[in-house]
Amino acid sequence: MKRYINKFYYVVLLVALAITGACSTDDLDPSLEQSKESENAILAVGDMEGLIKGAYNRMSAAGYYGRDYLVTNEVRTPNVFANGTSGRFTTEAAFAYLPNSVYMWDNAYSVIAIANILIGTDVSTLEGDQAYGEHIKGQAYAIRALAHYDLLLTYGQQYVGGDLGVPYVTEFKGGNDFPSRDSVDSNVENIMSDLETAFEMMNSDYFDTSKEFMSKYTAKALESRVALQFEMWEEARDAAKTVIDSGIYSIVPAEAYVSSFDDDGGTNSIFEIAQSTTDYPGSDRIDFIYRGSTYGDIEVIPEVMDLYDDGDVRADILGYEGEKLRNIGKYPNIGANIIVIRYEEVILNYAEALFQLGETAEALIWLNKIPEARNAELYSEVNVDNILMERRKEFVFEGLYYWDLLRYEMDVEKLSPLQNISETIPYGDYRLAFPIPLNEIDANSNITQNPGYGN
Amino acid sequence: MKKRLKGMLTLLMVLVVQISFAQEKTVTGTVTDDQGLPLPGVNVVVQGTRNGVQTNFDGVYSISVEPGSILVYSYIGFEPQEVLVGSSNTYNINLKVDTGALEEVVVMGYVSKRREDLTGSAVQIGSDELQQTPMATVDQALQGKVAGLQIASSSGTPGAVQDIRIRGISSITAGNEPLYVIDGVPIISTDLVGTDDNGTSSFSSLASLNSSDIESITVLKDASATAAYGARGANGVIVITTKTGRSGKTAINVSSYYGFTNNAIDGPDPLTGAQRETLYYEGIMNSYELNSMEEARAYELENFGDAAGYIAWNEAGRPETDWKELVTNHDAPIQEHTISANGGSEKHTFYASLGYYKQEATVIGSDFDRISGSLNLTQDISDSFEFSSSNTASHSFQDGLLEGSAYFSSPHTAKYFTSPLDQAFNEDGTYNLNTGLPNPLFIAENDIDQSRFTRILSNNSLRWMTPVENLSFTSRVSIDYQVFNYKSYNNRVSGDGDDTDGYGYEFARNTATYVIQNSVDYLMNLGDHNFDFKLLQEYQKYNRRFLEAEGDNFVTDGLTNLASSGNPTAVGSEFTDWAVASYLGTAAYNYDNRYVINGTFRREGNSRFAKENRWGDFWSVGAAWNLHREEFLDGNDLVNNLKLRASYGKTGNANIDINLYQVLFNYDADYAGTGASYPAGYGNEDLSWETSYTFDAGIEFGLLQNRLTGSFGYYRRETKDALLEVPLSYTTGFSQQVRNIGRMENSGFEAELNVDVIRSRDFNFNIGGNLGTVDNEVLEVAEDANGNEIPVISPNTSYQRSASGTMINEWFLPTWAGVDPDTGVDTYYTNGAGSEVTTTYTQANRVYQGSSALPTLTAGLNLHVDFKGFFLDASGYYAGGHKVYESWHLYLNQTNLYETATYNGYSSLMDRWQQPGDITRVSKVVDAYQPWTYSTKFLHDGDYFRLRNVTFGYDVNADALATIGVSSARLFVRGTNLYTWVKDDYLLHDPEVDAGGFTTITTPPVKSVVFGINLKL
Repeated sequence: MKRYINKFYYVVLLVALAITGACSTDDLDPSLEQSKESENAILAVGDMEGLIKGAYNRMSAAGYYGRDYLVTNEVRTPNVFANGTSGRFTTEAAFAYLPNSVYMWDNAYSVIAIANILIGTDVSTLEGDQAYGEHIKGQAYAIRALAHYDLLLTYGQQYVGGDLGVPYVTEFKGGNDFPSRDSVDSNVENIMSDLETAFEMMNSDYFDTSKEFMSKYTAKALESRVALQFEMWEEARDAAKTVIDSGIYSIVPAEAYVSSFDDDGGTNSIFEIAQSTTDYPGSDRIDFIYRGSTYGDIEVIPEVMDLYDDGDVRADILGYEGEKLRNIGKYPNIGANIIVIRYEEVILNYAEALFQLGETAEALIWLNKIPEARNAELYSEVNVDNILMERRKEFVFEGLYYWDLLRYEMDVEKLSPLQNISETIPYGDYRLAFPIPLNEIDANSNITQNPGYGN
Repeated sequence: MKKRLKGMLTLLMVLVVQISFAQEKTVTGTVTDDQGLPLPGVNVVVQGTRNGVQTNFDGVYSISVEPGSILVYSYIGFEPQEVLVGSSNTYNINLKVDTGALEEVVVMGYVSKRREDLTGSAVQIGSDELQQTPMATVDQALQGKVAGLQIASSSGTPGAVQDIRIRGISSITAGNEPLYVIDGVPIISTDLVGTDDNGTSSFSSLASLNSSDIESITVLKDASATAAYGARGANGVIVITTKTGRSGKTAINVSSYYGFTNNAIDGPDPLTGAQRETLYYEGIMNSYELNSMEEARAYELENFGDAAGYIAWNEAGRPETDWKELVTNHDAPIQEHTISANGGSEKHTFYASLGYYKQEATVIGSDFDRISGSLNLTQDISDSFEFSSSNTASHSFQDGLLEGSAYFSSPHTAKYFTSPLDQAFNEDGTYNLNTGLPNPLFIAENDIDQSRFTRILSNNSLRWMTPVENLSFTSRVSIDYQVFNYKSYNNRVSGDGDDTDGYGYEFARNTATYVIQNSVDYLMNLGDHNFDFKLLQEYQKYNRRFLEAEGDNFVTDGLTNLASSGNPTAVGSEFTDWAVASYLGTAAYNYDNRYVINGTFRREGNSRFAKENRWGDFWSVGAAWNLHREEFLDGNDLVNNLKLRASYGKTGNANIDINLYQVLFNYDADYAGTGASYPAGYGNEDLSWETSYTFDAGIEFGLLQNRLTGSFGYYRRETKDALLEVPLSYTTGFSQQVRNIGRMENSGFEAELNVDVIRSRDFNFNIGGNLGTVDNEVLEVAEDANGNEIPVISPNTSYQRSASGTMINEWFLPTWAGVDPDTGVDTYYTNGAGSEVTTTYTQANRVYQGSSALPTLTAGLNLHVDFKGFFLDASGYYAGGHKVYESWHLYLNQTNLYETATYNGYSSLMDRWQQPGDITRVSKVVDAYQPWTYSTKFLHDGDYFRLRNVTFGYDVNADALATIGVSSARLFVRGTNLYTWVKDDYLLHDPEVDAGGFTTITTPPVKSVVFGINLKL
C-alpha cells in the first residue's frame, strides 16, 4: 500500500513540476533575433546612419529609382517604346494605367517615413559624433523633399488643369493617418523649404566622394531642378549658381561621356543610387529592361538616332541588338550606379533660368558648354526649342524628358508607328497625371482622386 | 497563473484522499458472432479509459483490468456489449449484429467518444477509404468524403500543398487552414517552401506521411468538437490517428501498386505557327485598314521589318513546333510499396512499417519520392503503467519546378508562351538555345530545383492507471523534427542564369516543435449517470532556424553547389520561435445513454500577442438526445437510430505572423554594401485573439436495420474581432496594420445519406453521398476617419475585396458587355451590368460580382458493390457556385501582339471577330500590345464534378490461399480523376484551382490508373 502512495506523490510531483515549468505569461515571450523593438532602435548616431541607408535602400527599389520611376517617365515620351517581350511597361507606354496600380506612391511615402523618423530624432540625446548626426538629418530633409517632388510630378494636377498636389507628410506616426491632398503651390513651397533646410544642415566636411549619399550641394542641385520645373527662374538660377560656384563638380568631357555611366562616382555626378553585383533588384533591374532578350522590353524609337550630329559622342549611347535600336550606354550593367542628378543638368538649368530671366547672351554661353563637351554643333541662339533639344539629347533614358514636355505645355506626340499610344496625347489630358492608387483612397477617403479616373 | 496551478494541485490532493486500492488482473476470452464464428479485430476497451486491445484472428483477447471495471466489446456492425469484471478470469462474448446505433469510436484527438456520445459534428474516415487515393499527401483522400470540407490541389506536382477549407472561410486575413493533430498532438503543417521560395513548387509537410500507416482521419467541424483546440480550432481540426499493433500472432501486410498518371484535364491547345501567322497579319490588316494579307505583309516589312519573324519562318519552310507535346511526360509512372507488420503479446503490441513512394510529374523534369518507416509500440510496464510510443521517420525528395507564376524557365510556361515558330532542336539534333524564351528541354536537364525533406515524429506517452478507480494520469512528450533543404541552380549557358554565368540559391530550414502534455482522466458511474472528466495541460514550442546563401559566376558547367560560385551575392540566417500554452478541461455526462451533455473549457496563451492580451478563454457546450434509447422507440424495427444534437461554443484563431504586435525595426536591408535598417511594421499593442462563435444542430438517423443512415445539420459561425489587415494610408509609410476588427459569418446546411440497397453475405450494394453549403457574408470592416468603410483587399488579388454585405473576397471587376458585332472590340459596362456600355476599358468601374472563389456547394458521392469477392468502389466530388478567373489571358487568350508575335495563344482564338455581324466572344485581332483588362470576360463558373476514384478488385478466396500460407489477398485496378465535368465551356484549364481562385498554368491535377495487390500473411 505504501508503495502506491509513494508512487502517487511522485507522479503528482512530476506533473506539478511539468506544469509549473511550462506556463507563465513570460514563458510566452517570443524571441527577437532579427529585429529590435523601436525604443532600442535609435540610441546612437550610428543607428541614424543605418536608417538613412534604409531610406536610400528604399529609393533603390525596382518600384522607384531602381527602375520603374525612370522607365515609366521615359516610356511616356517619343524616345522609346515597350516592345512587349515580357509584357512590362506596355500599360504605362500606352497611358493606360488605372487606379488599381500603386506604382511608386507607396515607395515614395515609405522613403519619406524613414526621413521623418530621422528628422524627428533629437540628435543631442544620442551617443557618437553628433555633428555627423546633424548632417544625416540634413540628408533626411533632402530625401523627404525629393520623394515629395517625385510624388507631386507624378500625381499632382499641375498639368491636367487642377491645383491639388499630394499630402506633404512631415512626421512619422504623427497622429494624422488620414491626411488630405495639399495644393500644388503648398507642396512646392514645402519642397523648397526642406531643400533649404537640408543645405543648411549638411556639412561640407562630410562630402561623400562615392556620390551614393547626398551631400550639401545635392540639396542645391535638386533645388534648381524643382525651381525650374515650377518656373521659379530666379530661385533656379541662384541654386544652380551656388552649385557651380562650389567648384566641386565638373562636366564630363567628350571622351569620357559614355564610360561615365559605367564609372561610379564621377566628377559630374552629384547623387546616384548605389548598385553592385551583390545588390541590385534581380531581374527587375533597369539594365535588364533596356537590353537582352529575356526582358529587353524598352526599345529605342529609330528617329532618336537622327537627333545627334555626326561626331556627337552621345550617339554612342545607342546601339543595335540585332535589328533593335537599344540604349546600350546608360545603366550599362548590374553594377553601374543609377544617376539621380548630375552636374550637366545643373548647367542646363542655369542656362535656361538665365534665358527666362532675359540674360540671353549669358544663357547661350552656358547652354553651349554641353554640346561643346560632346563634340556636337554649338547653338547660335538660345531659345526654348534649343534648350529642350539639348536636354533631350543629354538626358535621354534618364527620365527627364517627360517633365520637360509637360512644363512647356507640350503634347506627347504620336510620331512613330512603334509608339504604344495610338494617337497624340494632348497637353492637359487627364492621363498625364497618374491616378491616385485606389488602395489609398479606400484607406483614406480624405484623398481626392484625379479627374478622369474611376475605380 | 500561479493561482490556477494551485487550484489544480488542490484538486489532485482531493483525489488522493479518495484513493481506494485495487489490484489489476488479466482477463481473457473469445469473441464470436451470433453464428459462433470467431470475430477478429473486436475492440475490447476498459470503459472510460483508453486501455484497450483487439481480438486476434481467432477472436481471442487478453487484457489487464481491475475487478469492478467494465469491459466494452465493440465491432462495427455489431451491438456493443458491456461486461462487469468480477471474480472470473474468462469472459467469452457473443456479439449480436447491430440493429441499433453504429458503435463506432470516434477519435477526436484529446479524447475518443462513442458516436452516441457525440454532441457535435465529426466525420471519421477509415484506412480503407484513405488508401483509395494513390497520391503523395494523405489529405487528398479527404476530397468528397466529408460534408462541408472543400479541398483543391494548388498544383498537381507530387507533394504539393492542398488547400483545405472546412465550412468556408472563417477569417479574412488570418489563416484559414485547419489544425492538424497526429495521435493527440497538434502539429505544424505549412508549406515547407513557404515565402522563401524562388517560385518553386510548394511542398506539404503532410507529404512525409505514408497513408498506409494511418488508421483513421477524423474531421472535426463544430465548436463542441473543436473547442478543445481552443484558439486553433476555428478553422476545423483534422485528427490523424496512426496504426497501432494488435495482440496476437504477428500479421504481415504487403501492399503494392504501380500505374501511370496523366493530366486530369488536357487543357487548351496552343496555336500552330500557321494559325498564329494568320492572326498576326490579320491584326496588321485590322489596325492599318489594309485589304489583304499581301498588303499586310508588305506593310509590315516596310514599317517594322520582319519584326515577328514570319518571313524568316516561311523561308525556313514553315517548321512547326508543338511545345505542349514536347514538355509533356506522358503516362508518368507512379508506384507505392508498403510492408508492415503488427502483433504483440498480452504485455505489448507493435506496428512497424516500411514504405516507398515514387511519382513522376506529368511534365518533364519533375518527380517525387519518399521512403518512410514507422514503429509504434505499447508496453505494459507494470499492472498500472503503460508506455506507448509512435514514431515515424521519412525522407522525401521533390524535383520541383519554377511554377509559382509564369516563369519563363518553367516547362508549363513554355507550353503556351513559347512561339511555335521557335525550333526545339538544331539540325544536328542538339538543343536550339536561340529560342525567344529559354528552351524548356535544355532547362529541364540543366537547371535544378530540388527540395529534400526529412522528418522525424516521435510521440511518447506514459499512462498511469492510479489505484483510484477510473482515475488515470497521462504524460505525453512529442517531438516533431523537420529538416528541409532547398537547392536551385540556373545554368551558365542558357536561361535565367546565363547573364551571371550561373546562379545558385540554397537554404536549409530546421524546425523543432515540442509538445508536452499532462492529463488526468476520471470516469464516474453512478447508476445510470455516467461522468467523464479530463483535465489537460499543454505546452507547445516551435523553433525554427534558417540559413540561406546565394551566389553567381560559377566556375564550370556541371558543378552546381555554391562552393563553385565565384561571387557569393547573399547570405542570411534567422531564428524564430513561438509558443502556445494551454489548460483544458472537458466534462461529459450521459444519463442512461439517452441524454448527453458535453462541456469544454480551454484557456490558451500565445506568444503572438502582447503580454496583456496573451491569454484567451474558449469553451463549448453540447447536448444530444438519443431518441432510439427511449422506451417509445425501443424494439422499433423501423427506427434503429435517432439522435438530436446541438452545440454552441467559442473558438479562436491566431494564425498570423509572429511579432506583429511589436513596433520593430528590421536590419536585413543593405545599401552601398553596408547594412541598413527600417521600421518593420506599424505594430499594435492591442492585438489579440480572433474569435468565432459556432452554433451547430443536427439530426442523425438509422432506419430499417440501419440500411438507411444519414444526418442533416445546420451551422452558423460568426467571427468577431477578426484579425484584419486593415489597409493604411500609404502616407504612414506602411500599407496595412493588423487589427482586431470586423465581423463575418458563415452558415450552411450539411447532409449525409448512406443506403445499403442490398445487404447479404455474397452480394452487397451500397450508395451514399454528402453535401455541404456555405453562405458567407462580411458584417463589418474597419472605418477611416470619416466613417467610411475601408474595404479589405484580398491577399490574392486587388480584384477581390470584402466590405460589409459582400462575400469574403468577392470578385470585384468591371463587367464585360460582349464583343461589339459591328466593330469587333470588347465592350464594358461603365458601372456594372445594365449600365451604359463603353469601349474604353478605363471608363469601366469595378463592381462586386456577387460571387467569390469559394464554392457555395460541395458534394461527394460514393458507391460500393461487392459480389462473391469481386468489388467495385467509386467516389466523386462536386464543387460549385463559385467563380474562377483565368490567369494570363492578356498574354495567351486575347487577340493582340502578345499572342501573335511575342508568345503564343490558345487555338480557340481562331474564333475571333472578322467582319461586321460576327457574333463571337473573341475580339478582333490588333497590331498592338494591349494593357491588362481584367473583367468578367475571363471570370468563369467554377462548377465541376470529378470522378475521384473507381476501384475494381477481387478478394481471393481464403481457402485457396491457406495452402500457400497467405491469409488474404486482394487484387485491384484503380482509376483516379478519370473523368471531369466542367460547367463553363470557356474554362479551359483545370477547374480545381486553389483558394485564391485563379486558374494556373502550373502542373494540373493528375488522373491515374494503377494496378495493385494487397497481401496479408
